Amino acid sequence: MITETKELLENIIKPYSAILFLNNKVAGILIILITFMNYRIAVSGMIAIASILLFAKLIEFKSEYFSEGFYIYNSLLVGMGIGFIFPLSYISISLIVIASIFTFLLSFMLNRLFSVYSLPILSLPFSIITILIYLASYKYIGHTAVTFENGTSFYNLALPSFLSSFFRSVGTIFFLPNALSGLLLSLIVLYFSRILFIIMVTGFYFGVAVHAVFLGSYESALLNPYNFNYIIVATALCGIFLLPTIRNFFIAMMGVLISVVISDALHTIFYYYGIPVFTLPFNMTVTAFIFVLSMLYYKEFNYNIKSTPEESLSYYLSNIFRFGSNQIKISLPFSGEWSVYQDFNGEWTHKGKYKYAYDFVKTKHNKTYKAEGLFLTDYYAFGESILSPISGYVIDAREDLSDNIIGEVDRVNNWGNYIIIKSDLGFYIEISHLMQYSLHVKIGDYIKLNQIIAKCGNSGYSPEPHIHIQVQEIGVINAFTKKFTFSEYYVEKQLLFNHLPKKGELIRNVIVNKNVHSRLIFILDDVLHYDIYEDGEKKATTSFTVCMNVGGEFYFEDEKNNKLFFYADHLMFYFYHYTGEKSALQQLFILAPRIPYIHKDGIYFTDYLPINLLYSKLKTMKIELLSTINKNFYKIEKCYTYNTYSLSSDLGEVTFSPHNKGFQTICYQNTKLIRKEP
Amino acid sequence: MHYEKPTINKIDFAMGSKYGSPVKTQKIRTNIAGINVNELTEKYGSPLFVFTEQEIEDKYNTLYEAFSTRYSDVEFGWSYKTNYLNEICRIFHKLGSCAEVVSEFEYQKARALGIEGKDIIFNGPYKPKEDLKIAVQEGAKIHIDHLFELNDLEEIAEELNIQIPVAIRVNMDTGIYPQWSRFGFNYENNEALEAVERMHQNGKLILNGLHAHIGTFMLDAKAYGMATEKLMHLKAIIENQFGYEIEYIDLGGGFASKSNLKGVYQSSEVIIPTADEYADAITNAIYDNNRSKKLPKLYLETGRHLIDEAGYLLSSVWGYKRFPDGKKGYIMDAGVNLLYTSNWYNFNIELDKRYEGENELSMLNGPLCMNIDIIEENIMLPPLNRGTVLSISPVGAYNYTQSMQFIRYKPAVVLIDKEGNTRVIKEVDDLDTVNYKEV
Repeated sequence: MITETKELLENIIKPYSAILFLNNKVAGILIILITFMNYRIAVSGMIAIASILLFAKLIEFKSEYFSEGFYIYNSLLVGMGIGFIFPLSYISISLIVIASIFTFLLSFMLNRLFSVYSLPILSLPFSIITILIYLASYKYIGHTAVTFENGTSFYNLALPSFLSSFFRSVGTIFFLPNALSGLLLSLIVLYFSRILFIIMVTGFYFGVAVHAVFLGSYESALLNPYNFNYIIVATALCGIFLLPTIRNFFIAMMGVLISVVISDALHTIFYYYGIPVFTLPFNMTVTAFIFVLSMLYYKEFNYNIKSTPEESLSYYLSNIFRFGSNQIKISLPFSGEWSVYQDFNGEWTHKGKYKYAYDFVKTKHNKTYKAEGLFLTDYYAFGESILSPISGYVIDAREDLSDNIIGEVDRVNNWGNYIIIKSDLGFYIEISHLMQYSLHVKIGDYIKLNQIIAKCGNSGYSPEPHIHIQVQEIGVINAFTKKFTFSEYYVEKQLLFNHLPKKGELIRNVIVNKNVHSRLIFILDDVLHYDIYEDGEKKATTSFTVCMNVGGEFYFEDEKNNKLFFYADHLMFYFYHYTGEKSALQQLFILAPRIPYIHKDGIYFTDYLPINLLYSKLKTMKIELLSTINKNFYKIEKCYTYNTYSLSSDLGEVTFSPHNKGFQTICYQNTKLIRKEP
Repeated sequence: MHYEKPTINKIDFAMGSKYGSPVKTQKIRTNIAGINVNELTEKYGSPLFVFTEQEIEDKYNTLYEAFSTRYSDVEFGWSYKTNYLNEICRIFHKLGSCAEVVSEFEYQKARALGIEGKDIIFNGPYKPKEDLKIAVQEGAKIHIDHLFELNDLEEIAEELNIQIPVAIRVNMDTGIYPQWSRFGFNYENNEALEAVERMHQNGKLILNGLHAHIGTFMLDAKAYGMATEKLMHLKAIIENQFGYEIEYIDLGGGFASKSNLKGVYQSSEVIIPTADEYADAITNAIYDNNRSKKLPKLYLETGRHLIDEAGYLLSSVWGYKRFPDGKKGYIMDAGVNLLYTSNWYNFNIELDKRYEGENELSMLNGPLCMNIDIIEENIMLPPLNRGTVLSISPVGAYNYTQSMQFIRYKPAVVLIDKEGNTRVIKEVDDLDTVNYKEV
C-alpha cells in the first residue's frame, strides 16, 4: 500500500519537473505550488493527471511505462492549457478529461513511432491536442477569447521590461505568464542546474535580439508571447538531448534562430484561427536536430540523459576519461613483450582504407632477430603464440600459405594466412601473416579473450615475421578498417587503459587472471561485514550488501542506504557511481575505482574520479561549469599502485585476500575497515 | 629385409635468383652473449660448455609470466637432473625456484647449496630408506612412487612417531604415445585411489599433494590439459572420500625446448608449443575442474625448456679427411661423450665466421676412437680448417649431466653473467679428478 501511494505521488510530481527538463521530486513539488498562482491552472493540471492515472488503471497500463514521464506531462500540459482559457465548469472539466486521455493515447502512439528513429516525442502531442481543443471550443458555450493575460497579471513584478519579459516567458511554459512565477521557476532551475539556467537566459535573449533585428522593433520582439520557445529549444539542444558543451552551445543558438522564424511563420497561419502556436516551433526545431545528429552518431550527443545537464556531462566525461568513451576496444593479440612496428597511418602499408591497423614484432636489444637475421627461425616473433584480442566467433580463416623466406614477400596473397573473428560486440577483427598450418581453431568456433589461436608467421606481404591486426566493419578480407584502441596494456610497470602505443614502443599484454576475477564476482545478497577502527580503536561496524535496481545495475548498499554502483567486465571490476552521504562506501570508490584482473606486483595506473567524490559542493559546481568550456577541467588524475593483494594511493589502501571474495581491509585517513566474518 | 623408420632431412641449398646466390647458406655465430667464441676457446680451452645467465633468466621469466599471470599460486622446482652444475642451480634458486631432486645424491646436492628441506621436492622411483628418513625429518615434499616406498614411509612414521605429509605420483593416459606408466600409481585402473585408501586406513601419512609427470619433449600442450583435468578429478574424489586437503598439484616437466628432433622436418618454432600454450592448457584445466573452495598451489618441474637454449658447446676442428664415398669428414675435439642428446636431436651448428667456398656434404665426428662418435652425419659445410670453432646448440639440458668421462677429460664450463663477464664455473678435469677415490 505504501509503495503504491509512493508510486502514485511520484507519478503526480514527476511530470511537473519533467516539463523543465529536471528529474527531481522537490522541484516537482515546488512547481505544483507555483501553479496555484492561478488555481484554474493548478486544478485543471491535477484533473488531467487524475484522468490519466484512472484511465491507465482501466486499461491496465503497465506502471513501468510511467517512469519515462512523457506519457503524463503532455497530458498535464494539455490540462493546464484548457484551464488557461476556460473557467472551471463541467464543460471544461469534461474537455480536460477527454483531451488528456487522448493526449495520453497519442503520446504512446507517437512514442512507438518515434522510437524507431530514437527520437523523443517532446511536447508534440500537447501541441497537436491543444490546437484541436482550441479549435473545437469555438463552438462551445463558455469559451472566452484567447488571452495570455489571464488573471495572473497581479503577480507581475515591478521589474525592467527586459527582465520581466524573460521571467514571463519562463512562466508561460506553465501557462503562468507573469514575472513572479517565472522568477520562482528560474530560481528552481538555478538551484538544480546552473548550466540549464545560463542556457535558458542566453537562449532567450539571443532569440529576442535576432527577432528584434528581423522585426525592426526591440519592444515587440521582447513582448512576443512565444519567446518561451527559445528557452526550451536552447536547453533541449545544449544540456538535455545534447551535452552542455561549447559546440552544442552554437548548435543550440542555431536552433533558437530557426525557432524564431518558425514561430513567426506558424503565427501568421494560426492567428487566422485565433489559436496560439504553443510549443510547435520547439518541437519542429529540436526534432529535426536530434534526428540528424543521432543518425550521424554525433559525438556530443547525450546518450544517457541524467537528471541535470551537470550530471549528464559528468557521466559523459567520466566515460571518456575512465573508459575511453564508446570506441571499439580490443586487447593485444600476444603475450610477453612486443614492440610496435607500424601504427595507424603507418609509413609502409597502413594507408588509405587500411590506415587503422597495427603491426607488432618481438625485439631484444632493439633487434627483431638473433644472429644475422637471415633465417626465419632467427626472428624472435616467429612461432610465438597469437592470442585472441576479443571474444567471438571465427568466421573466416586461411592457413595454407607458406611462410616466406627472408627477403621475399607474397604479393599475390597480401594478407597471407589470416583469421577473421566476429566480436560479440559486432565488429570484426582481422589478424594476418599467421604461420602456415598453425591455426588452433576453425571456422565456426567460439573463442574467448586471450585464447591461443595461432602462431606468428611470415606469410603474405610480410618481409619479416610479425602480427598484423585491424578492426573492420564487415567480416571479409580486404575490408575498410575502423578506428580502435587497446583496452589494457603495460608499458614497463605502468598499466594503460584505452591507449594506442606509438611506433617502437615496448608493450606487454594483460592476461586475465581468472583467480583474481573470481574474487571480484559478487552475487546478489552477498554481504561484506566490517569493523570500523578509528586511530586503532574499534568504533563501529558496517556491512555492504550487494543489490540490484530495476535498471539491472548492481551496487553495494550500507545501512544508511548509501549506494555504490559497480560493474565487472571481462578485464576489470570498477565502480562508476555513488549516491549518498560521506561514508566508507564512498571512500571505497575513491580508493579502488577499478581493479584489473591481474596478478602482478608494482603495477601503477591512473584513473579519473567523478569530481563530486573529491571536492565540496561549491568547487564541484565550479568545475562542472568550467568543463562545459573545456573538458580537461574535469580531468582530475589519481595514481594507484597495484600489488597482488593490495591497491594503494596517496588517499589510502584497499587490500584483498587470496581466498576470500571482496575487500579485506579499507584504509583511509585515520580510519580502517577490517573484514570480519558475520 | 628389416624395417627402417623413415626420416626426412631438410637439406639447405642456395636458391638461385637474379641477385645470384643468397648468402644464407652458412649459419654463423661469432659470439655468445656478446663474447667472441674464438676468444672463449683461446682463454678457456676447447671443447668448452658455455652458459648465459641472460638467456636462462629470459626463458624463466617468460615461462613464469605465462603461468603466474594466468594463475596466482605457482612455483617452479628446478629439475636437478637436467643440469646440476652448482652455479646453474643457484641461478634458478635465485629466480625463485625450489629444488626438484630424484635421488639421494641430488637431495644432498640441494641441501649443500643451502636449500631447506621444505623447499625440496623429492621424486624418483629409488629413494634409499635412510635418505628418505632424513628427507622426512627435514620436511621435504616426498612424492611416493610405489607401494614399497609407501611401506617405507609408514615405517618411518612409526619410528619417528609422527604423521608424514606426502604426495603421490600418478600416471595416466593423456592421449599421447608412448604413455609413461612406469612411474607412480595408475589413474585409470584405480591404483592411485587404492594407494590413498590404504594410506588413509593406516593413518600414518597425510596426503596433501598429487604429482604427474606425463612425458618428455611433449609436443602437444593438450596432453597437459588432460593430465591436469585427471589430477583435479582425483583431487576432488580424494577430498570427498577421505577428507584430505590436497594443497598442491605438480605437473612435472617435459616441456619441449627449441631443439630439432631427429626425423622431424619442420623447424622447432613450428612444432613446439609456446610457453603460453602449456600455461593456457594447464591453468584452464585447473579452473574448469576445481571443485574445492581453495585453488591448489601449482608446481612445475620444467628443466629442459628452461635451460636447453642457454647452453652451447664450443668445439674446434682438429682435422679432416675425405672418405672413400667422397664425403668430407671433420675430426672435432668434442663428440658423443659430451653430447648424449645427439642421439635424438639435430643440433644447430654454427660457424665462427664466414668461410670462402661452396658448401659440400660433410660429417662431423668426435675425438673418440669409436665408430659411433658422430655429432652430425650429413651437414652442408664450406671448407673448414684446423682451429675453426663450431657452436653447437642447444645443449643446456642433460648434456652436461649425462656427459661421461670417457677417453678424454670432461671439459670446462663457463658462465657469461648478465653484465657480460665470463667466469669458469667448472674447471677441466685432470688425472687427479679421474683417479680420485681409485686405489
